[in-house]
Amino acid sequence: MSSDFSLFERHVDALYRSALRLTRKPEDAEDLVQETYLRAYRYRNRFKPGTNEKAWLFTIMTNVFRNRLRQRPAPEDPIDAPGTDFSIYDQLRREGMPVHLMSPEEIIVDRGFGDEVKHALEELPIPMRMVVVLVDVEDFSYKEVASILGIKIGTVMSRLHRGRQALQKKLWEYSGRPKARPVAVGAH
Amino acid sequence: MGDHCEQTMRNLSGYIDRELSDADVRQVKAHLDDCPPCDKVFEFQAEMKRLVRKECCTDDAPARLREWVRQLATEKPKPAG
Ligand SMILES: [Zn+2]
Repeated sequence: MSSDFSLFERHVDALYRSALRLTRKPEDAEDLVQETYLRAYRYRNRFKPGTNEKAWLFTIMTNVFRNRLRQRPAPEDPIDAPGTDFSIYDQLRREGMPVHLMSPEEIIVDRGFGDEVKHALEELPIPMRMVVVLVDVEDFSYKEVASILGIKIGTVMSRLHRGRQALQKKLWEYSGRPKARPVAVGAH
Repeated sequence: MGDHCEQTMRNLSGYIDRELSDADVRQVKAHLDDCPPCDKVFEFQAEMKRLVRKECCTDDAPARLREWVRQLATEKPKPAG
């Protein structure tokens, strides 16, 4: 039995953009995607038709990626330790910004939070980054992410929670850097 | 912040990610309709999720990678440069 490989081809953009967030370098991302497809091709008969081929490809890719990391170990992050709560919204409210009068888009544009999302994401510890990418960018369910990464659903949820907070904290820090900033809206 | 607010905030990620049971969805929805402060937090966090997706979806695979994948199924796989 052989699967129709075109089923797998269509996920190349998704794999590439996620590979780019994980490796941070276009040439490494391309290499990671190639190895993922070589394995997918080699093991294509192990794929069960009718199951989620995107999740299958991401399982292969995250495994390849983690094996590569193991060869070049990075300092271990205390990723599953509870962190301090942080949200941009609460922070702005505390600063006295009239956030309740603003749309989320206005808040984001006003402080330029959108400009450095990729950069902020790429600075998160890898286990958190993987979960945020899989849930928020690739739209996998918690259950699918648990299966892709071989972790518990509770771990998916805590990494997601902490990853999103860490992301907002990075964006907050970047937005405080000196740069031309529009006048706050809502002051009229 | 009342009990309902706290419970809603605890369920907010699950609500945004469409991971809650129908009963919990109804509960969160009912509270958000009633409580503008919680609703604003919800709107902001939902927008942050959209933002992450939007910002990260701009990187498409390079054409040569796409072509390499396309040929993988039809030719003998070979290392590509
Ligand atoms: Zn409330």
